[in-house]
Amino acid sequence: MTVDTFELGVAYRDGRLAVIEVAGYINNEAGEAIAATARRLVEEGHRTLLFDLEATRIINSIGISLLLEVLEMLLEAGGVLAFCSLSPSIAKTFQIMGLSQYARIYESRTAALAALTPSP
Amino acid sequence: MTEAQRLRLVLPPRPQAELLAGAAVESLGRRIGFSRDTLAEVKLAVVEACLNALEYGGGQVEVELSGFPGRRPWLEVVVVDHGPGFAPDAVPTPSLETVLHAERKRGWGLELMRHLMDEVEITSAPGCTRVRMTRREGGR
Repeated sequence: MTVDTFELGVAYRDGRLAVIEVAGYINNEAGEAIAATARRLVEEGHRTLLFDLEATRIINSIGISLLLEVLEMLLEAGGVLAFCSLSPSIAKTFQIMGLSQYARIYESRTAALAALTPSP
Repeated sequence: MTEAQRLRLVLPPRPQAELLAGAAVESLGRRIGFSRDTLAEVKLAVVEACLNALEYGGGQVEVELSGFPGRRPWLEVVVVDHGPGFAPDAVPTPSLETVLHAERKRGWGLELMRHLMDEVEITSAPGCTRVRMTRREGGR
């Protein structure tokens, strides 16, 4: 059996932007950890949260519902939720939900940072 | 290889037991020649079916996988629980517009299964809920 060990880390933060790397299976526990990290980052003043899902292969519907809490929190704070490096099945999941209407989705972290980082 | 490949497993009512079914899908899907992308979609649909069965069934969950190799291989999945049952037609279709700012944000499982699989049939009565799903390589 594949071990879908969940890992979460804040890889980068600069002013309004923070990048969160997520690996493994996003279920209820992982979703709660993501929501708690997002809450802390928003409390610290970050308003654009970019989730890099390159090492995530599966998100279940409970994990999805917790990502929606993050989206709601950011919308209320006038912030932006963004994702990058989605596997095709996760991209399809987000498309089924209509998430691209509310969150920004980028092919890679490089593309996301170029779009989300204000020009000097 | 043209014969059907079959796998049967019984999931214990324990956290992450749904991943056992996901791993079984991966193993059988590879053997019948499913692509990585199709496999990932089927795996998610099966994980969702098992999550529902584990949560609402309240006990062990039976999973049967049948894989049919060939030019366009296909897979049939049957997930059975022995809980109180439910009315599938009464489950509302979720939408982000209604879910945002609502207390309850769950309820995406059936919607995902219906979009990721070619067929989803649910029969439910007290004591037995049976979800049968099929997916052909290149389907959806």
